[in-house]
Amino acid sequence: MRNAYVDQFPAEARVVKSAFWSSFLALAIGGIFGLVQALHRTDVLRFIDSTDYYTVLTAHGVLLAITFTIFFLVGIFTWAVTTSLDRGVVDIRFTWSWYVMMVTGTVLVAVAIFSGFLEEPPSILGSELYADVLFTFYSPLQAHPIFYIGLVLFVVGTWLAGFDWFRTWWAWRDENADERIPLPTFMVLTTTLFWYICTLGVALSILAFLLPWSLGIVDSVNPLLTRTLFWYFGHAVVYFWLMPTYVMWYIMLPKLSGGKLFSDPLARVVFVLFLLLSTPLGIHHQYLDPGIAEGYKFIAMTNTMFLLLPSLLTAFTVVASMEHGARQRGGEGYLGWLTALPWRDPVFTGMALAGLMFAAAGFSGMINAGMNINYLVHNTWWVVGHFHLTVGTAVALTFMAAAYWFIPQVTGKELWSRSVALGQVLLWFVGMTFMSNAMHRSGLFGMPRRTAEPQYQNFDFEPAVGTVAEMDAQVALGAVLLVVSLVLFLLNMVLTSFNGTSDSIPDNTYAGTLSGPEDAPEILDNLKLWTAIAVVLVIFAYTLPLASIVESGGLFGPGIDGRQLSLGADLEPALETLREVVA
Amino acid sequence: MNIHTYEKVWLAASMVLIVGFIATITYGAVGPGVSMISDDGGSIDPSEINDDERFEETGVTHVGGNEYEVAVLAQAWSYSPDEIEVPAGSEVTFYVTSPDVTHSFSVVGTNVNTMVVPGQVSEMTVEFDEPGEYGILCNEYCGEYHHTMEGTLSVVPEDEFDLTELSVEAPGEVESGNETTINATVSDGMQTDLETTATLEIGGEQYDEDVTIDGAGSESVEFAVDADQLGEGDHDWTVTVDGEEESGTLSVVDGANDDSGDSDGGDDDA
Repeated sequence: MRNAYVDQFPAEARVVKSAFWSSFLALAIGGIFGLVQALHRTDVLRFIDSTDYYTVLTAHGVLLAITFTIFFLVGIFTWAVTTSLDRGVVDIRFTWSWYVMMVTGTVLVAVAIFSGFLEEPPSILGSELYADVLFTFYSPLQAHPIFYIGLVLFVVGTWLAGFDWFRTWWAWRDENADERIPLPTFMVLTTTLFWYICTLGVALSILAFLLPWSLGIVDSVNPLLTRTLFWYFGHAVVYFWLMPTYVMWYIMLPKLSGGKLFSDPLARVVFVLFLLLSTPLGIHHQYLDPGIAEGYKFIAMTNTMFLLLPSLLTAFTVVASMEHGARQRGGEGYLGWLTALPWRDPVFTGMALAGLMFAAAGFSGMINAGMNINYLVHNTWWVVGHFHLTVGTAVALTFMAAAYWFIPQVTGKELWSRSVALGQVLLWFVGMTFMSNAMHRSGLFGMPRRTAEPQYQNFDFEPAVGTVAEMDAQVALGAVLLVVSLVLFLLNMVLTSFNGTSDSIPDNTYAGTLSGPEDAPEILDNLKLWTAIAVVLVIFAYTLPLASIVESGGLFGPGIDGRQLSLGADLEPALETLREVVA
Repeated sequence: MNIHTYEKVWLAASMVLIVGFIATITYGAVGPGVSMISDDGGSIDPSEINDDERFEETGVTHVGGNEYEVAVLAQAWSYSPDEIEVPAGSEVTFYVTSPDVTHSFSVVGTNVNTMVVPGQVSEMTVEFDEPGEYGILCNEYCGEYHHTMEGTLSVVPEDEFDLTELSVEAPGEVESGNETTINATVSDGMQTDLETTATLEIGGEQYDEDVTIDGAGSESVEFAVDADQLGEGDHDWTVTVDGEEESGTLSVVDGANDDSGDSDGGDDDA
């Protein structure tokens, strides 16, 4: 008797499958755009105008950092809650409603962004569609209102998803009053709580300031304020998309290794730490911002450093669990056990390689966090190298590897090819090694990020080791390998969906624990307490900086108009006018 | 709570690492004195930047001793000024702001790097010990032509650096038989006195005038020119001082024929 997820929860499986496919679609478009950028920047192949580069970049950032990651997340979290509580969601119509809301939001955002490719974008709501504002949408760059409306719908959709998970847990708790929260559900709930806390920032930024401003209801914003509110959300969001990865590493990787999770209590501690510390450190993205006193930056720096703790603990627990699994499979010796791991399993190998890359990302992250050394690398390609290891590999590769397990679970169809899958995850690892390494190195001599043509008229970059051409070649090569890997992944997914249903799908289970929840103090499950402390930490970290920003720049700023800095086709006369105005 | 011994060791090592990181960063701030962009620059109205005394005129000014200030306007898609020159061994405070969107002011390959947010003034003080040439670029997306926004920073040897400015007033023509003067105004942007030589070249001859200027002051230098010595016709002239140069043309016309009308004119804009 087959006992896959689709057999246990057929209705939920359809939502999860839809979420995964939404995620894959975003990954496909966003990934291919990544290759366009890599080839354009490095001047290997330029087939778009440099002015369109920023449209491509905006789409790449939003589709991958927001759409790809979060659609996959809601799929995994819905699976984790229902599987670990062994009950379905309370009302599947509600579940579909938040999914539809997220899709609607994404479509609106995408329409606004993709209009950037049109010669004459259509006018809606009294202004031309426009959203060449990048993933960070810093004012006074101003997008069309539907860009902001789409983002709001998407985020509200995730809020409702979070409510759905809580509601399911409440229903379970009514029937299981004395039981500990199962670990996967605990992970989902703590993550959802810090998501609520951090998205308040971006919601406030959009609803109170940017949306009314883009609609012409207010005529000015305070750029530093909206920027600070963005980063209040902007770092926690990286933990939001990292948490499903951690869920996979904690509850799937040990099982795939052939063993059990080393410690349930420490896993809970880790997620509590993320709940507490994810938000009150966003100012570490603003080390170089004027208008924020050095002391606030120092506080953000110390919080950031302490957030290394849960990741270091995770490294220990995950490796220890893998070793335990390897020894169950007959592995021996200090390092010899590594050979006993199931390296032919693409799900295992993808996740393990992702974890390895994340360790490297941790080191470059520590450099970023070091507030004075950050001045050397801020907004350089180093940073891009860093987050292509984090979201681009730790998260993306884990998700792709997980998909090889999940898609059979939610469809009942066997994976089209395990060997192609194994080649795919290896290729991703190799491609990212080339690309990310060269990006990191380029940042060290000041190569900027977010720039269509980093080839300047009046100076040359001076690498201490190697040449610019060699690093550009590595980035271009890496990007090509990554896109080949991406195509193999998508091909495998599509061909799997054409397979017939199979009876040999493994059971829907996750890892047991060596040290179980009985070893974890009850207080760890007190979500109200941890949420209250998290809120207090946020108040400590943000009240004074926000107050001083509002005091010095005003709530709505000193008459700052929206800017859509595009000149259109007829460039030279406009540039001439601009120069005259400036002179 | 049951924590494995290895976990305890790992936990302790992790805490040591974290505290160590914070300690090294703190040391960097208080020891070598790596300071951060702060709120010292204050806020500014982006539509009235010129009203702020720091931005009345962009460029380099001498404060005194080895201290200089540089006011920079970062705007889509250029810097004003886009060529900055400071002496080696100086301590330079930059004030940077933006009238439009967020930019950065980043001296390539160094930690001289700040965001430039409209409504705020970024203030940072940098010590330039050695001569060198640097690129400046904007590393924050600022619209379609963001990638064209660049500048240069030259740190020149101290003895090659000055803030001398020159402006010349010269007549366009003079009648033969008369004398005229070419007036050069030399101003010293430094707070220290300047001893230098202004030179006029005209008609194949060179005339030097030594001049001493008080700090932050200016002096006029008069060069007497005898039309007969030049002879009738157009004569190109050049005034130079401390590498600053201005030139024009002086026409000597027949004194009897004084309704000659327009001259070629001296080029006397600064």
